[in-house]
Amino acid sequence: MNDAVRALQEAMEQHDYIAEASIATALYLSREMRKPLLVEGDAGVGKTEIAKVLARLLDTELIRLQCYQGLDVNTAVYEWNYQRQILHLNIAEQSGKTGSDLEAEIFSREYLLERPLLRAITRPDGPPVLLVDEIDRADDGFEAFLLELLSDFQVTIPELGTIHATHRPYVVLTSNRSREIGDALRRRCLYLFIEHPSLDKEIRIIRKRVPGVSERLAGEIAAYVHGLRGRKLVKAPGVAETLDWAQALERLHTEQLSAETVEATLGCLIKDQEDLSAVLGSVER
Amino acid sequence: MKGDLVARLTVFARALRGRGVRVTLADVADGAGALVLVDLFDREEVRFALRTALKIRPADWDTFDLLFSDFLSLAAGVPSPQERRPSAPAGAAGPAVPIPLGQTGPAPAGAGHSPMGDQPGYSRDMLLRRKPFDQCTAADLAAMERLLARLSLRLATRPSRRLVPTRGRGFLDLRRSFRRAVATRGDFVAFARRAPAIEIPRLVVLCDTSGSMDGHSRFLLTFILSLKRVARRTEAFVFNTALTRITPWLAPGKPGLSLERLSVRVPDWSGGTRIGESLAEFVARHQHHVLDRRTVVVILSDGLDRGDPAVLVDAMRVIRARARRVIWLNPLLGDPRYQPLARGMQAALPFVDHLAPAHNLESLERLLALVAA
Repeated sequence: MNDAVRALQEAMEQHDYIAEASIATALYLSREMRKPLLVEGDAGVGKTEIAKVLARLLDTELIRLQCYQGLDVNTAVYEWNYQRQILHLNIAEQSGKTGSDLEAEIFSREYLLERPLLRAITRPDGPPVLLVDEIDRADDGFEAFLLELLSDFQVTIPELGTIHATHRPYVVLTSNRSREIGDALRRRCLYLFIEHPSLDKEIRIIRKRVPGVSERLAGEIAAYVHGLRGRKLVKAPGVAETLDWAQALERLHTEQLSAETVEATLGCLIKDQEDLSAVLGSVER
Repeated sequence: MKGDLVARLTVFARALRGRGVRVTLADVADGAGALVLVDLFDREEVRFALRTALKIRPADWDTFDLLFSDFLSLAAGVPSPQERRPSAPAGAAGPAVPIPLGQTGPAPAGAGHSPMGDQPGYSRDMLLRRKPFDQCTAADLAAMERLLARLSLRLATRPSRRLVPTRGRGFLDLRRSFRRAVATRGDFVAFARRAPAIEIPRLVVLCDTSGSMDGHSRFLLTFILSLKRVARRTEAFVFNTALTRITPWLAPGKPGLSLERLSVRVPDWSGGTRIGESLAEFVARHQHHVLDRRTVVVILSDGLDRGDPAVLVDAMRVIRARARRVIWLNPLLGDPRYQPLARGMQAALPFVDHLAPAHNLESLERLLALVAA
């Protein structure tokens, strides 16, 4: 293994992220090649966490853009502060300034509200980590816009002109694959698909994040969750669910798993009614 | 040495493309950039790096891994028995089953895929049977398209969250209001507004082309083509003993051309039926990309399944949970004596929002009323 990749993997671990080699390699390449990293995988496998840990590693700000259907430029990039502009005009009415002076005043950076994407490319001190979360929820139109931003790193505001990036942010995009990401955007990024962690990785994750859980209980928890993932469930539990469950068991001062404790706390792990009844049925048996 | 590596990477990419994995020149450039950065002696690291840089989807990982060993032995300069095997895929598929273009991953209809030759009613060798398609009469087609234009518009009843400019009521649009005020020297005469957009629906059509559907399949494919014309984001699949994505081969303007292409490329046309397995494959490979809460799923099948109903139930449950609406069109329903008792139909019924006949234009007309309700 490349020393730099191993160093990154270890550094991530120090920041509480137990990374598989594939994850560390992808993140390393993304950092070195300065290309956005598109992360896909089932819910709860730690996609968003990658951006967070990267920001902590680089000791920089994490700027997050949560995507949703109907997300538009006004919420993602910039918006004029209309209220302030009107206020300013009202006050200026008495001062007798010329029109062009006034215009220059109200259409200046001072009256511009920076939204995450603009802030990411204009942050004064060093490149931040830009997390574009759940890009699959945004419309295709927004995806096309993002593509442009990620290739040129500049934003054009009609009243103000083009704003160039002061530096290239580190970009992480996540997708739950509720819709196929356009090929053009995919090509612009490096691609990482995260699978559920291996058994011993998951044990280490539990031990790291929920230190109150004993080695033995962590093993039992991980083994049980792995068993569940092997079954045909509508929604297989992710690492996030495992950690929820481990925390619940810690609170309950559980020493080892029993049918009763599993039954009582299964809600942490399984969030689908049909899955729940299927699993409960087999627990009783 | 480095130039060598790039050449080998190019060969690798070409082999991937031959197997239906989309890899572009830009990806190869990324791949070369990545190889410089990693430890070339660490097989796993090289594998992860190339998977990341070439943007290989999980569905294509098996194909990738298969060809990757060839690449490694080439890259290391160690001759291996595999090297003599052509890495270009022409020979890999065997004589009988060409891998359809545009299909991702290994062909689902791959030779020796599953023990499907044992039961009667299945074609043993999955030969490509060429079925002659007659042309639809122009009048039929035109009538159908008019109808389907209406159908598709009625499906589009769900407003989107996206706001678009409107002349009517809606949310205040300050930016456009300001711009308009310029024309009246800064006075706001009328405010501009935005309202939720109405979006053309996404449709996923799964069409049964097995022998028992033979009399209907031409008609139904025309139906799909018309849908595609109105709702351009329609995804189409056909299934018999295996599932094939046919979206790339549809040319909405030219039904004749599309039908011809399909009859040549879809394996095992008018063979047996395995609805359950086919839908399960759809769930495993495609549902993530094509299903969301805006999507209406239309299944065209007679429900005569020879497989295990439990498989069908599992698949239908996932589809039901992810899609906005599931419509099952069954040509047999046109016969008034028919009861949906076939095992497959019975199993699927609880997960279907609308079960409707689809044997002629009139039945589609009735479907309109059903969907609009």
